[in-house]
Amino acid sequence: MLELQSKPQFSVVVPPRTLQEGYLVHFSEDWPSTHNAVRAKTFRIDVTNQVPYDLSYIIPTGDYRDVDFSNGSGTFQENIYPENVNSLFEVLVGFKPGNFLSQWYIPAGKSISQLEYAQMYPDLDDDEKKYLGARQPKDSPYDDPRIKMYLVKDLSPLIMRLFTLEGVDYEKIVVGLTINKCKMREIEAPSQDDLLKAKVIRYYDYLRW
Amino acid sequence: MPSEVVAAVLEADAAVIAAERRNAVVLAKSITIDNLNGGGNRVIQIQDVFTPSVTEGVAAPVETEVDRWKYTALAGDQITLGEDELKGVKCLGAMKVYSDVADASCFISVGYELE
Repeated sequence: MLELQSKPQFSVVVPPRTLQEGYLVHFSEDWPSTHNAVRAKTFRIDVTNQVPYDLSYIIPTGDYRDVDFSNGSGTFQENIYPENVNSLFEVLVGFKPGNFLSQWYIPAGKSISQLEYAQMYPDLDDDEKKYLGARQPKDSPYDDPRIKMYLVKDLSPLIMRLFTLEGVDYEKIVVGLTINKCKMREIEAPSQDDLLKAKVIRYYDYLRW
Repeated sequence: MPSEVVAAVLEADAAVIAAERRNAVVLAKSITIDNLNGGGNRVIQIQDVFTPSVTEGVAAPVETEVDRWKYTALAGDQITLGEDELKGVKCLGAMKVYSDVADASCFISVGYELE
């Protein structure tokens, strides 16, 4: 038998998972005046450069470590933030498997996972609320990261709190980062079409209302 | 799969099978204990050696040793264990091997992978 396979009627195109050269980004108006360099402005990405970087921590059971992505010489600071106002760092975060969870805060001490009822915020001392909003390794695997951060100069510290669950003595937590460095050039008068095409980057406050 | 052959040594001189790698754990995949010419029964252990990170609870962590696996090899015997028997034997830091008695005639071969 001879079989001629028919031509597919459509194909699925998977878009790139990171910002590419030529892409447009627009910073919404809810960015505060301290970020006037980007607030309510539209930029074209002129250059990108993907930088992989692995972080690793061995944490005993029931204990945690804060990973502060901002720049500085503090024990927990990892210096991932950009230093130039025309830089945008798009950071993908993935985890190798393990017996741990992560909680996220921005700025320090303010969880992104707080609910509206009183006391419904992540609490590592509480056997139930430690799971509120907690991201597991499988939520963003090392080889297929699904957590993304958009970092600009002088953004408030973004904190990832890693804690080892009960059942093991210690856990080694390996966090794979891909830092997509983007060099931006402002578009002084973006057209309506530019604004429609641009990826909107909102200030973190929109996560809490 | 890399592997290493070492003679049975005491814990103080524990033989390094795989050094610690920052972004990986060491998984034991196979082990052969050749005690055919050994001087007696030997208790062989795999030890995990690492220094934990600074955490909320521990500001100044120190080097830590955790025994991950233990087996008594009888004198005049040789055993080989594979991946199934060693499932779950994972070292977060360096993987070391030692014996309860130093014995230059007892050999331990460990196959491992970094993951």
